[in-house]
Amino acid sequence: MNELGKKLCDIAFDKQKADYLLAMREESGNVAPVFISKGEDIGEANIDYPYQLVTILSRIYPWLNKGKIAIVARRCDEKALNETIKRGLFDGNRIAVIGLACSKEQIKKCRCNDPVPTKVDIGEPNNGVNTDELMNKLQRISPEERMDFWVRQFKKCNKCFACTTNCPVCFCEDCVLEERTFVAEKGIPPGLSFHMIRTFHLADKCIECGECERSCPVDIPLLTLRKMALKDIKDLYNFKPGDRETASPMLTTLEGELLEDDTHVC
Amino acid sequence: MSEFNPTILAFCCNWCSYAGADLAGVSRLQMPPNVHVIRVMCSAAVKPEYVFKALSQGIDGVLVLGCHIGDCHYMTGNHRTAKRFPLAQKILNDVGIDETRLKLDWVSAAEGEKFQQVITEFVGVIKKLGPNPLREVKF
Repeated sequence: MNELGKKLCDIAFDKQKADYLLAMREESGNVAPVFISKGEDIGEANIDYPYQLVTILSRIYPWLNKGKIAIVARRCDEKALNETIKRGLFDGNRIAVIGLACSKEQIKKCRCNDPVPTKVDIGEPNNGVNTDELMNKLQRISPEERMDFWVRQFKKCNKCFACTTNCPVCFCEDCVLEERTFVAEKGIPPGLSFHMIRTFHLADKCIECGECERSCPVDIPLLTLRKMALKDIKDLYNFKPGDRETASPMLTTLEGELLEDDTHVC
Repeated sequence: MSEFNPTILAFCCNWCSYAGADLAGVSRLQMPPNVHVIRVMCSAAVKPEYVFKALSQGIDGVLVLGCHIGDCHYMTGNHRTAKRFPLAQKILNDVGIDETRLKLDWVSAAEGEKFQQVITEFVGVIKKLGPNPLREVKF
């Protein structure tokens, strides 16, 4: 157990009184998520690599009936937790957050404008970056050029579903992209509609973690596309995903009241 | 060169717009023959996914027609439609498809003439825009 591991365990098990801890550790040169219960050895803990632990949490949560889970969370993980708790996937009282502030390089890579968690436990808080150069460029050029750009990007797509599998807010049990009506079983690349459908679905819950872009094996600038959609929904309904109270405008009627039985639908 | 004849899909809700289209037909109102009408139970049953798929496969324009706000057979179905489609239009714009290729409008069962007017106008707009560039793109 290294220094960092000790610190994480201290915060999780002593301060937050959690029963489990979800973090990242290094083992023979590879960094991977690790899930331990109280008293276990965490090993060589590592926080240098961004990874959406909420995705892992949503996989193991159904197997844990009781106990509090502490999770190492950057600001984006925290927002992802808020979005998922709001939609009823987790019990908010059973989850404790260990706030992790991102480094400057990481913020630059994610073009993140909101990098500081509500409570910083580890790391030094840094200011966010406000501009996404690619997005600015795409908004300047003509629609024809923009389509040309995206068609060239999406032609690289090989429908590996990495963006979907690793997304912390993709939690539908029956994914619309696995329906043959919308995405043909045969045929690679899947076409423009695949990415438009995903963009539309994530517009009211994307928390800009950039995991889709990081996990994409062919480097499609997916985070830029998400940021564009988030700007659209902000312009239209003045809604920004990431807090636990505000209901998504897609789930409310024009008067603003929630539709029946709709709080749990994604 | 022959004139460009667009292919247009019109999703009409069963309770208002489809009856409106019916009325337009029974009243023998003249309108362009480019529109394929698809009957759906409610305008909220039209997932934006259908629109995205249609446009990315080369359809020139998509019309979504529903009951007027407040008249929905399912109380608040068209409220959802009214919220979804502006966002879908913006996303189309983000990937470079002209957002006027998707249009949302309300036509009630008594408005045969409005149906004719909406169709004629939309076909005019799409004719001016030209064919969908995605028709030529092979993925």
